[in-house]
Amino acid sequence: MSDFYLLWRNLFRRKLRTFLMMLAIFVAFVIYGVLGSIHYAFEHGVDSSADNRLVVVNKITFIQPLPYAYVGKIAAIKGVKNITFANWFGGYYQDARNQIGTFAVDPESYLRIYRDDLRIDPAARDAFIHDRTSMVVGEAIATKYGWKVGDRIPINSNIFTNKADGSHTWELTVAGIAYAAKESFNTSFIIFQYENFNESKTFGKDTVGWITLETDSAAVNDQVAATIDEMFANSTSETDTQSEKAFGKAFLAQLGNIALIITLVVGAAFATILMIVGNTMVMAVRERTKEIAVLKTLGFPSWRIWRQVLGESVLLSLLGGVPGLAVAGLLVMVLSKAASGAIPGLALTLPVAGLGVAFMLLLGVVTGFLPAWNALRLNIVTALGRL
Amino acid sequence: MRVFNEIAVVTTICIKSIPQRFWASFSTVVAVGLVVTVLLAFLAMAAGFQQTLRGTGTKDMAILMRAGAQAELNSGVTRDQARLIEEAPGVMKDPDGKPLVSPELYVIVDGVKKTAVPADGNLKKAPRSNLTLRGLSQAGIAVRPGLKIVEGRPFKPGTNELLVGRALQKDFVGLNVGDTVKLGNSSWLVVGAFELGGSVFESELWADTPEVQDLFHRQNVFQSIRVRLTGPDALKALSDYATNDPQLKLDVTTEADYYAQQASRTSDLIQKLGWPLAIAMAFGALAGALNTMYSSVAARAQEIATLRCIGFSGTSSFIGTLLESLVLALVGGIVGTLVTWVLFDGLTGSTLSGASFSQIVFTFHLTPAVALQGLILALVVGLVGGVFPAWRAARIPIVEAYGTP
Repeated sequence: MSDFYLLWRNLFRRKLRTFLMMLAIFVAFVIYGVLGSIHYAFEHGVDSSADNRLVVVNKITFIQPLPYAYVGKIAAIKGVKNITFANWFGGYYQDARNQIGTFAVDPESYLRIYRDDLRIDPAARDAFIHDRTSMVVGEAIATKYGWKVGDRIPINSNIFTNKADGSHTWELTVAGIAYAAKESFNTSFIIFQYENFNESKTFGKDTVGWITLETDSAAVNDQVAATIDEMFANSTSETDTQSEKAFGKAFLAQLGNIALIITLVVGAAFATILMIVGNTMVMAVRERTKEIAVLKTLGFPSWRIWRQVLGESVLLSLLGGVPGLAVAGLLVMVLSKAASGAIPGLALTLPVAGLGVAFMLLLGVVTGFLPAWNALRLNIVTALGRL
Repeated sequence: MRVFNEIAVVTTICIKSIPQRFWASFSTVVAVGLVVTVLLAFLAMAAGFQQTLRGTGTKDMAILMRAGAQAELNSGVTRDQARLIEEAPGVMKDPDGKPLVSPELYVIVDGVKKTAVPADGNLKKAPRSNLTLRGLSQAGIAVRPGLKIVEGRPFKPGTNELLVGRALQKDFVGLNVGDTVKLGNSSWLVVGAFELGGSVFESELWADTPEVQDLFHRQNVFQSIRVRLTGPDALKALSDYATNDPQLKLDVTTEADYYAQQASRTSDLIQKLGWPLAIAMAFGALAGALNTMYSSVAARAQEIATLRCIGFSGTSSFIGTLLESLVLALVGGIVGTLVTWVLFDGLTGSTLSGASFSQIVFTFHLTPAVALQGLILALVVGLVGGVFPAWRAARIPIVEAYGTP
């Protein structure tokens, strides 16, 4: 009879109780897995953007436009390798609630800057560059609405008016579909030609929303950013240049302290199972006081008994936690589909799962410690005398 | 009558014996308490957010925006259109016969949340949050009768002076009266703070129209027109007028509807996060409650058997056990509610509102309706956690009960 067999039988001596504890642990790790993955996706999605990419926005806020002429001026600055720009369109499809991140861009330079993030068929790229009324649709949007290359789609704007007919609609042809080359890249977007946009809108001509540029290397980022901001200081449109990462982080932070909320909820879930499981483990070992005394009488060394009790609580923790993480992985997959790419890179990643397993071990040790300690200190005479 | 006496006796035994199983019962109470706290924190957040936005709209104020714009930020209205609206039907007039119409600019600037200030106090490195800057004139104050200047004075026309919403002033850095705020390349002086019924406006900065137009290069353009309505029928009249005139093409809604629609999106989202989390956690707590109650029944097996021997019915054991579970859960629920009340009620938070694209400051509010939902969740856990053990208590074979040592 191995120690493990004894441990296993002890764990399942009261099947219902063990099952209930496993359920509690399972639930806590489902919550941990799902929320942890969301948190990781948020953090990581921002972190994965290239180090040498800067964003130039209007100093007042990034909603305020910049003059188009800035693009050429900034391109001439030493250390700027590639440059592109975009303008928010306020796009939606059919119903105003179906908002789509739609940007008017310069096709060639935009696709060049995002060459490592987006994968697009060369033919589609050419079509996009040459057809003024075309657009490229991100995979998530193309899947959501079932659009195919060649489809002509009316895209509405809740901001701009089309000069041609006074409506808010632009008819655009799908030139191609853009796929994420990195998992963490959000593909729920539409890009279309800035030239088409600039000439057909009724106001705000020759302005751009923001400018994105690539420096020769991350080492010159600060210097380039300072040069740009100095160049336009005291002009009517002052600029604020920062890394794309910092920009993304600041934007996420505006939603609220997501990290804190997630930590609090996961903390509450873990505190709950710590109470339930810890308490039940004490009870379960207490019931076996006599048996432990017998084992000691038979000459089992204390450390073996200590190991058995701890082993039991750790095993319980793993038996509840591992399926919990597995189910969390499935839920995250479903969520990721349902959010249709709104949270790019949403998946149960190795770091999150690894930390989860570490938490399971920790939980097992913490809940098993007190009963194991009690068993260790057990005085055989009193224990056998106890009824 | 007999049954009731029996139930009373068994329940008393159950409840009085709780201290014998102190830690098991305590863990159930804590588990249920934590579940309720998590649920209530989310619901209080949703309720607080909703209250702030709902409190903003009044039914006798109409808001006019470019057709299809849906939000002030996206809209554009010209000075000529504003003039036409002054002559529209349904518009209330002040005692001097001036129409109560306020064309307003709506632009976004940014600021630093007090909680976002880095440890070294360097504001340049702090992440910035979007804020609403509203450009309005004397008419803007005239159409909002509830406005109270609680500190300082209103801005003077033709100056770079700011009037700051009370909620925003509390939550953001450098917005005290006398502070200077840099927007773009011009400096603005904070001259006063206002309250307006706890509404969204208290999350805004207000300044004189021409100055804001200058800063943003938006001469002769506004984002919306606020109109004080004469009565319940006025909206229809104004709406017909604004839709039929080809020079206007404006959407007309009451302010109440406008903000209610904005409120529902975000608070729905918060509730949709809170409930599934709480329900998942409730399953964990349920496992704890079942464990506790089964061990309670096991511990009292002989007592129950004795009672049954002397003629007590199974029903009384059933109900007694069930009530014990419900009492534990209820205590947990009350503890959770109190914890939420102490920790979260009155806490201010702010989030980026999707429609306005700027920060809205709100206060967590633990309303009675919200607290009730927490207690109901606790009682459901207690009910389900008690009913199976109670069933066992009612049916323990007497011989077997005495057989257990």
